[in-house]
Amino acid sequence: MNGEKLWKVFQRWEADAEAAAGDETSSPLPRAGMSRRTFIELIGFSAAALAFSSCRPPEQKIIPYLNQPVELTPGVANWYASTCGGCRAACGVLVKVRDGRPIKLEGNPQHPLTEGGLCAVAHAMVFDLYDAERLRQPMIGSQGADWEEVDRQIIETLTTIKQSGGAVRLLSSTINSPTSREVIARFLNQFADGRHIVYEPVSTAAISQAHQKTHGVAVVPNYRLDKARLIISFGADFLGTWLAPVQFTRQYARARNLQDGRREMLRHIQFESRLSLTGINADARVRVSPAEEIAALLLLAKRVAEKRFRHPPAELRSLDETQLPERVRDAVERAARQVWQWPGRSLVISGSNDVDVQCVVNFINHLTGAYGQTVDLRAPTNQNQASDGDMVQLVKEMNEGKIAALLMVGVNPAYDYYAREDFIRGLSNVPVKISFSPRRDETSALVDYICPHHHFLETWDDAEPVPGVFSLNQPTIAPLFQTRAYQESLLRWSGDERSYYEVLRQHWREHLFPRQNGTTNFDEFWDRSLQDGVVVLTSASASTTIPRFTADEVGAAVRRLRARSTEMAESLSVILYESVALRDGAHASNPWLHELPDPITKVTWDNYASLSPKLAEQWQLEEGRVIRLSKGEVSLELPVLIQPGQDDRTIAIALGYGRTKAGRGGSYVGVNAYPLVSFERGTFQYLTHGITIEKTPHRVEFASTQRHHTLDGRPLIKELTLAEYLAEDGDQDQQRARSWSIWEEYPYGEHKWAMVVDLNACTGCSACILSCQAENNVPVVGKDLVRERREMHWIRLDRYYRGEADDPTVSYLPVMCYQCDNASCESVCPVLATVHSSEGLNMQVYNRCVGTRYCENNCPYKVRRFNWFQYPHSDPIANLALNPDVTVRTRGVMEKCTFCIQRIEEAKIRARNEGRPLKDGEIQTACQQSCPAGAIIFGDLVDRQSRVARLRRDKRGYVLLEELNRRPNITYLARVRNREEA
Amino acid sequence: MSLTTAKIISLLVTITGAVALLRGASFHWFNNHQGYAPAQPIAFSHKLHAGDNQIPCLYCHWAAEKSSVAGIPAASICMNCHSQIRKDAPEIQKIVRALKENRPIAWVRVHDLPDFTKFNHSRHVWAGIKCQQCHGPVETMERISQFRSLSMGMCVDCHRTHRVVTVDESGKPIITREPTREKLMASTDCSVCHH
Repeated sequence: MNGEKLWKVFQRWEADAEAAAGDETSSPLPRAGMSRRTFIELIGFSAAALAFSSCRPPEQKIIPYLNQPVELTPGVANWYASTCGGCRAACGVLVKVRDGRPIKLEGNPQHPLTEGGLCAVAHAMVFDLYDAERLRQPMIGSQGADWEEVDRQIIETLTTIKQSGGAVRLLSSTINSPTSREVIARFLNQFADGRHIVYEPVSTAAISQAHQKTHGVAVVPNYRLDKARLIISFGADFLGTWLAPVQFTRQYARARNLQDGRREMLRHIQFESRLSLTGINADARVRVSPAEEIAALLLLAKRVAEKRFRHPPAELRSLDETQLPERVRDAVERAARQVWQWPGRSLVISGSNDVDVQCVVNFINHLTGAYGQTVDLRAPTNQNQASDGDMVQLVKEMNEGKIAALLMVGVNPAYDYYAREDFIRGLSNVPVKISFSPRRDETSALVDYICPHHHFLETWDDAEPVPGVFSLNQPTIAPLFQTRAYQESLLRWSGDERSYYEVLRQHWREHLFPRQNGTTNFDEFWDRSLQDGVVVLTSASASTTIPRFTADEVGAAVRRLRARSTEMAESLSVILYESVALRDGAHASNPWLHELPDPITKVTWDNYASLSPKLAEQWQLEEGRVIRLSKGEVSLELPVLIQPGQDDRTIAIALGYGRTKAGRGGSYVGVNAYPLVSFERGTFQYLTHGITIEKTPHRVEFASTQRHHTLDGRPLIKELTLAEYLAEDGDQDQQRARSWSIWEEYPYGEHKWAMVVDLNACTGCSACILSCQAENNVPVVGKDLVRERREMHWIRLDRYYRGEADDPTVSYLPVMCYQCDNASCESVCPVLATVHSSEGLNMQVYNRCVGTRYCENNCPYKVRRFNWFQYPHSDPIANLALNPDVTVRTRGVMEKCTFCIQRIEEAKIRARNEGRPLKDGEIQTACQQSCPAGAIIFGDLVDRQSRVARLRRDKRGYVLLEELNRRPNITYLARVRNREEA
Repeated sequence: MSLTTAKIISLLVTITGAVALLRGASFHWFNNHQGYAPAQPIAFSHKLHAGDNQIPCLYCHWAAEKSSVAGIPAASICMNCHSQIRKDAPEIQKIVRALKENRPIAWVRVHDLPDFTKFNHSRHVWAGIKCQQCHGPVETMERISQFRSLSMGMCVDCHRTHRVVTVDESGKPIITREPTREKLMASTDCSVCHH
């Protein structure tokens, strides 16, 4: 018998029973049998003994530092300014570091572009840092190796290439770090034929190519929404995914802000065929087919040109206007009139990656005087530097065997290149393949050496998203694994033994320090920049004059577009777009992003072919029916999602899904739609035609978090037009008739917490959901449990369609716990696990909760979440991301939003320790802090002058389901649409 | 041996074990660790440091006035004095060795609240609560032990007496927790500790 077994009593019985087995007659029971009663008795004894022996404190260790770091106080978070590496927009972040672990990203309010805003992807990046599936060491082939060996082998092969003069290519995504670009250039200079190629799976190369044609500069301008009074967008999802959504959302929300008595707001007209996040926020959304979108753009160009020139270009003059439906023509005519209402303050943009379309856009912006105002060419953005032609050329050269070595940074073409087989075949022809991917993904699995790059929270770097705006990226944790910054690898292989940090400082000393005049001491400049995270310098490269416009190419572009629009008119189009959560698919290994409901369809963990109700009816397709889309050799099977508001000749499919090597969480989720991308007219096209559709017998059930689509006549969302809003005069008396209540009112003393959500600002970007998830240790439940309505997000964004199913108006309502004064949940809890606090919160006491779920059933707003299972917290690395200030809930416990009570308590303690009252705005909830639109305002109602108290008196204010007399403490400010009055 | 004998023996073993445990110094009812005094890797005496030598608590546990946790002092703090004083004592040598070998000292935790309870030291220190009020006469302890139960009842007893409830004209209660000169004020909201 093994003496180490825990069940000592049971063990002894086993030994006895074995001894007794020899003498069958002496045994009171048959050998094989034991009565249930005996079994339970024995188990009972054993359990009792076990319980007694365990009644001793479990021995826990406390391991203090050997040498206390000066800046670190145990239990107190440090905040470091840094730069987000989630995408190429390079937003400013503040990293919350608790006891040496980064646990939360928040927006840096000092950043001139993002001003404290952050998107959903950025919040999810903390999960990526603690992803145990990241590579832990460099790899040679599929074998782990050490850095010395890898360096030795790579330097050896690169030296051979240097001598033979072979072609070396460094393929990267957009790199907006000036120092990294310098390191790359220096590395490539060693070779006779070394080139840096920028590849973006979702490219905006057409914008820079069009500017090359019309202005002679190949750049993507910086669009200044904050200066615009009118935006006319042709399918550009600038609030969701296009270029720099956080920056645009910030500017957009500010230009539409009606708080504190403002009376003017930006007008936004959107022409689009799929229903995008940007489209639903527009004051006027015009549903068009892709062909009509082009025709509408041309008509707008014609109208604008007619106003400016006596003789507009012939190609425009002869434009056939009748091919556009009257509805669209009307909308264009109206838009064209409004352009002149605010001269120079209008902005026309297009999400198309077609050079001709962008040429016409430039033409219009030139005529309306937008250049120099809303379109900044002098300080163009670095946020998408894709060069599609170079990438295609590279793959061609690879296939021809002309490339001697290929190095890849932040790209995954074996997954997201439109002709991935070509790329993979080409890759096998390249003798030396090196990837800096932190994971073994589709591409890095095919290379000779993987030299894993750090997570951006572990590394030094800088960024210059827009000329003159420099931000620093500093490590906030020592590398968890044996990874190395790719810049450092390149330095090693360039024969430079310095660390990247030294190179970075050197670069700043030489190039940035001379451009500032705040201080004469470089260390002081560096320290201040590092502390602020961002420094704005007058741009050295920015020219003072706007490049001249030449209309030479416009005529030909119009001609081609006219032909294409006619040719496309009757055919079915497929639009490929980036989803708000997954974007281009680079972070598809992140389950937080997969479980983030799509802002419009509310579907998680899947992509789909969305089509209009009319088209579905015509083809007799029901939701969830799997269809096969084929074009040439490409064939995809996708479930159908019926999307109101979509054009009747368009199918929309999200890119970024269908990864095959994205780890446990992200592999084989959805279908890869990149094979439908094509390379035509010098750029990648995300619009395709000539698709055949076949019905399959399969059906799937979507994991959707919202199944109802309409308001059913209830006044849950209030909307008004700007004219209506302005017509209502003065402050509306907020003294609503208070219905009689059987409850006594609570006496509130020191504080009474409340929130205001400005629906006019909220765009539905969903950043708040993930910010809350990161702050409050909210678990991910997976596709099956979402299907069973057991998702755990504490905030949900309710989306409602109104009007015609073909072309509805869409509205959002962010719903979290309302902390009602007359809370339904409190009166039904049998164990007092949810009770009212003296500060007006509905507290949820996890350790008291026994899980009856009465509160959840009684809550009219459905904001409570129940832990049906013990969600896994077994991964010691993933657990490092948990916020120690928030209890991790176990199975059988109810949970919900409590206005980030841990932040309230922390701020209260700080204020009391310092012997001062709390300042208004000192406490920011997680959802509020990084809302790019600034839609959420939290504060104390006892302070009558607080911002939240003032906004609660706004005439747009209303509460949800007021007739129930729950007296919720979240007030919504009604959305205002700036419609042109007829 | 028959099954009945097996049962009797196992019952006896259980009872003997239970009695032995109950009489033993290390027995505690579930979650009440009052009196828990485990052996520490270094025989540090609070009596000698805090009692005889009158070193203030906050000298070593400096985080207590800044943070939610009081913190166990880093080895470098010990060496502030012990680089000069009693350098050769065998217990001090353990610290010297730890520093030299870069191997942190793993102390055994004595005061441990459940994970769903958030206690903030700094608030209590700034409110003028003496460390001894919860930790007992630490300055007399050779080996540190848990003096009070640290149960919720213990906390709430104190919080209840530190607030003022008055009644306004309409008879509604007004709860005040603003600290006055006479009295420290504490909240009894669940969310103060549980979140």
